[in-house]
Amino acid sequence: MSELELRQTTVEASAEHLGPRRRRMPRAGTVLAVAFVAFLAVATVAPSLVWTQDPNRIAAADAFESPSLAHWFGTDESGRDVYSRVIAGTASSLLIGVSATLIGLALGLVLGVLASFGGRVLDFGVGRVIEVLFAFPGLLLALLVIVVAGPGPVTATIAVGLSTAPGYARIIRGQLVGIRSSHYVEAARVLGHSPGRILARHLLPNALVPLFVLATLGVGQAIVWAAALSYLGLGAQPPAAEWGAMLAAGRTYLPTAPWLTVFPGLMIVGTTIATTMLGRALTRRGREGR
Amino acid sequence: MLAAGAVFVMWAVATLTFFAIRLIPGDPAEAILGGPGSQASQEALDQVRRDYGLDQPLLVQYLAMLARLVTGDLGTSYALRTPVADLLGGQLGGTMLLAVLALLVAWILALGLSLWSTGRARVAAAVGEGIELTAAALPHFWLAAVLIAIFSTGLDWFPPIATGTPAGLVLPVATLAIPLAGFLAQVMRESLLDALQQPFVVSARARGENTTGLRLRHTIRHASLPAISLSGWALGWLLSGAVVVETIFAMPGLGRTLLQAVTLRDVPVVTGVVLLVALVYVVMTVVTDVASRLADPRLRQEGAR
Amino acid sequence: MPTATVTTLRPWRRIALPAIALVSAVALAGCQAAEPDEASGDPVEGGTLVYASGDAEPTCLDPHVGGNYPQALLAGQFLESLVSRDTSGEIIPWLAESWEPSDDGLAWEFTLREGVTFTDGTHFDAEAVAVNVEHLKDPATQSSTGYLAMGKVDRVEAVDDLTARFVLTAPDSALLESLSQPWTAMQSPAGIARGMEENCEAPVGTGPFIVGEWVKQDHVTLVRNDDYSSPPADAGHDGPPYLDAIEWRFVPDAASRYAALQGGQVDVIDNPQPDTIAAAEGDDVLTWIDAPRPGAANRIELNSGQAPFDDERVREAFIRAVEVNDGIDALFFGTAERSYSALSSAEQLAYSDEALFEPDLDAANALLDEAGWTDRDADGIRMKDGVRLTLRFPVSTNQSIPAEQSLFEQVQATAKQAGFDVAIELLDLSSWYSALFAHEYEIVSAPYTKVGPDVLRILYHSDSITPAPSGYFANLAQLDDPAVDALLTEAASTSEEAARADLYRQAQERILGGYYLLPLYDQQNSFLLDARVEGARTMPTVSTPTFYDAWLAG
Repeated sequence: MSELELRQTTVEASAEHLGPRRRRMPRAGTVLAVAFVAFLAVATVAPSLVWTQDPNRIAAADAFESPSLAHWFGTDESGRDVYSRVIAGTASSLLIGVSATLIGLALGLVLGVLASFGGRVLDFGVGRVIEVLFAFPGLLLALLVIVVAGPGPVTATIAVGLSTAPGYARIIRGQLVGIRSSHYVEAARVLGHSPGRILARHLLPNALVPLFVLATLGVGQAIVWAAALSYLGLGAQPPAAEWGAMLAAGRTYLPTAPWLTVFPGLMIVGTTIATTMLGRALTRRGREGR
Repeated sequence: MLAAGAVFVMWAVATLTFFAIRLIPGDPAEAILGGPGSQASQEALDQVRRDYGLDQPLLVQYLAMLARLVTGDLGTSYALRTPVADLLGGQLGGTMLLAVLALLVAWILALGLSLWSTGRARVAAAVGEGIELTAAALPHFWLAAVLIAIFSTGLDWFPPIATGTPAGLVLPVATLAIPLAGFLAQVMRESLLDALQQPFVVSARARGENTTGLRLRHTIRHASLPAISLSGWALGWLLSGAVVVETIFAMPGLGRTLLQAVTLRDVPVVTGVVLLVALVYVVMTVVTDVASRLADPRLRQEGAR
Repeated sequence: MPTATVTTLRPWRRIALPAIALVSAVALAGCQAAEPDEASGDPVEGGTLVYASGDAEPTCLDPHVGGNYPQALLAGQFLESLVSRDTSGEIIPWLAESWEPSDDGLAWEFTLREGVTFTDGTHFDAEAVAVNVEHLKDPATQSSTGYLAMGKVDRVEAVDDLTARFVLTAPDSALLESLSQPWTAMQSPAGIARGMEENCEAPVGTGPFIVGEWVKQDHVTLVRNDDYSSPPADAGHDGPPYLDAIEWRFVPDAASRYAALQGGQVDVIDNPQPDTIAAAEGDDVLTWIDAPRPGAANRIELNSGQAPFDDERVREAFIRAVEVNDGIDALFFGTAERSYSALSSAEQLAYSDEALFEPDLDAANALLDEAGWTDRDADGIRMKDGVRLTLRFPVSTNQSIPAEQSLFEQVQATAKQAGFDVAIELLDLSSWYSALFAHEYEIVSAPYTKVGPDVLRILYHSDSITPAPSGYFANLAQLDDPAVDALLTEAASTSEEAARADLYRQAQERILGGYYLLPLYDQQNSFLLDARVEGARTMPTVSTPTFYDAWLAG
């Protein structure tokens, strides 16, 4: 077999042939990831169960206290409990991250499928649209959306979603074009399968696998971009305890009160890692199940 | 085809920018008269509106802008009163240098990291993956502050503000490159894993061959494919990051110009920056297309078809 | 009241700080050293001082065009005014040696300093003064601040070479204060004649430094004027400045500025974050200059032009409900002092009344009940006729530093206890102004810098509710009180000091007593200097730094 042919069979075959090697992720890691995501879920649905005090309770006299038993993550510049604010911010941060990613993915998927499966004219047209969107620096697109529609978490979410869409669209198109010319798709075509069935059975599942990994990373990325908007003063509005906004506000005090940024930062990193690990685990299961 | 596509992209970008900026609250005439909150007199406002054609219907202004752009004239900055082309010409070099250096460094870091960790023992793999994920989740503005705290204030190795010296570029480039490297490494790792699990690698392993050579020979090319196609995207990403990085490290550049121009509603400058970035992007697309074809025979075939 | 306090931060001296602050403010009037006992030898000639500015980069270096604070910061190094002000608030000679108003107050004759030349070699004379005022009043100049300052000036006549007569349309007791500001500084007529584009790049003045090159978004180089001969009356020496040059860099990020100062990459920074000023206390190589800007104090204005603040009881309730003192202490690390006045402490005529601003939650609740805001919704926000007691609070991220934004969050939290829903909206500058112009605010905080108490007329006279053609209006409290109008108008045309002071006092009593504003603190204006910088000070006019007397030790 030539190298090329080998590679083309890999995508489908890898899970069966090499299942054991695929499981190089430590199981403990997956368990931890599940536990972390479960904790996030609780903090999202019922934050008052896990916070230790009202996250917006101001006590100027207690400002800038370092982490202690009374304040696990310390207090911020207004004497608010950082741990409670991190918990309270889970829902809005995840909402921004997840919905921005979903907006980006949905748009990207529509554009990508249209481009790769809609014939030459549509491919050209959609390809240009993707390029136009792409040619806008993401942050400019976000800036424009925000100054036009007014600042706030909803516009920030839409803005971040929009600016990630062309990225997803391009990757989807690239994947689909690559897979479309592969042997098994050609085989399916020879067998007379309809284009719709080929798209649903062969193309999308294979294109979505790498996309899934990107999307799980995208959740963290979206939170980080929303944080950049907060740094520029255009993100979540006070007193909302959004992680990105906390990070942006705390950066001023990095040399004197690092706990203001370390903990929300850890939450963003932790969320990214946990969702990505879960995404990987799900991807594996998907491959094995097929 | 390619040229027509490029022209279309440029036209659409100019049009979108023109109308989007009109939707923003704030009067461009004020941008000309000393920025928002100016207490300019009616005479001054009228004068400026006449001079810059702002009293014309929107469509006329739009067509006038297109006519100017076709002749290569980017117009005059409202706020700085200098030709936009001169202004951007002075900024492009710095930003491109920053972006290209960051892209190179990110590539090297990503390649090194994924080659080192992929398919190794569990601990190494987990550590590598943890580093990648953490790096990818770092916001620029925060990373920059940490790097300054460590390498400027703490160790005094590199200056915190970039004044055009090579040493001044180190921290800005690192700030941009580290998160991007984490991101690129993620994507490369997926491809690399696929590559390492292919029968030819497995059989080579079974024969007891050292896999280092194999990794380098077969996998770099294999893994570089998505990285190449991501480079166009990465460049746009870097230019967005440049807005923040140029502000923090006080470097002159397109990102900072853009932010200031949006704040001041300086329409010609915003349009100019966006067009310039679009142009860079179009060029980059051509380059990555060619590079992808070279790296992947399948695309080469398709291109020939 | 001192306008500039120079304090060298050494641990052993911290206890004696208040005393030294007073002494040094007095000593500064005629002394080039930061502190008398601090003088470390004779001034050294030469060297380049690097200044890192956090203010926005000007779009034009000519402060006649537009006219904002960043322009004033730079222009102070190369342009000079007819008069200046000393630390006690007295107007002192600069490019004008003396001045005399006519009996009816409609004409002022200024006798100019002899032998002053612009850095392009042309002479400074009465004709040049006339050209400058004409330039300020010409719509094509696009002047805003200087244009307003010259509002009552009809024209300037050159009586002879060194006598310039200002002809006014009405008596103006603020004329000298207006002329002391950098926005009305004197430029070379030949320089102005080059046209706006060229003059914006490098205005020509009589100052100690000359604009060398301006690399956009990076720096402006200012080089020594070797022929300099016209320091203000309170300067520390005569002749050219000690420094060879100033490298004026634009560094928008506060943390980067501070890091660059710590690392010795720059010598002076402006707009330091309060926590870094406090941190510098442990660092005995930095000097802190605290120079509050003149004009208005930083304050929260209550929009009395529309519901709910058209009701004085609701305004008083808000002011009684809000608690800011602890917040100011914590957020500003003791670097900002609570103000109870509409005016900056740099103004001699500032009137304070602490009792008016005593927080009292019970009183606030009683006032709101009385005003009919008796219902409460599920969040505890008061309601009246189905309307929530919501206060829209647009905050400019360009004008409010992070500490101030945090303070506003505390205002939001404490006001909520009385049932106010404060909706903070962080906006960029253009959007912020748009919100104000559309009257989409109930409370707002906007700085205003001007020399002298006449700033009260700009901020609280009912004429200032009428928007300028651009939509701008300065009376954000929308205070419309004929009694206040009458007092401020009369004060502006009264030159007799005691009478003027009394009028301004009455006006301030009425403004504060009507609960139109909540004073916070002076407009913070701090500089951190490397200890090797000696002899730097701020101008007692608009508190911009001047490096004419400065030199680099060691």
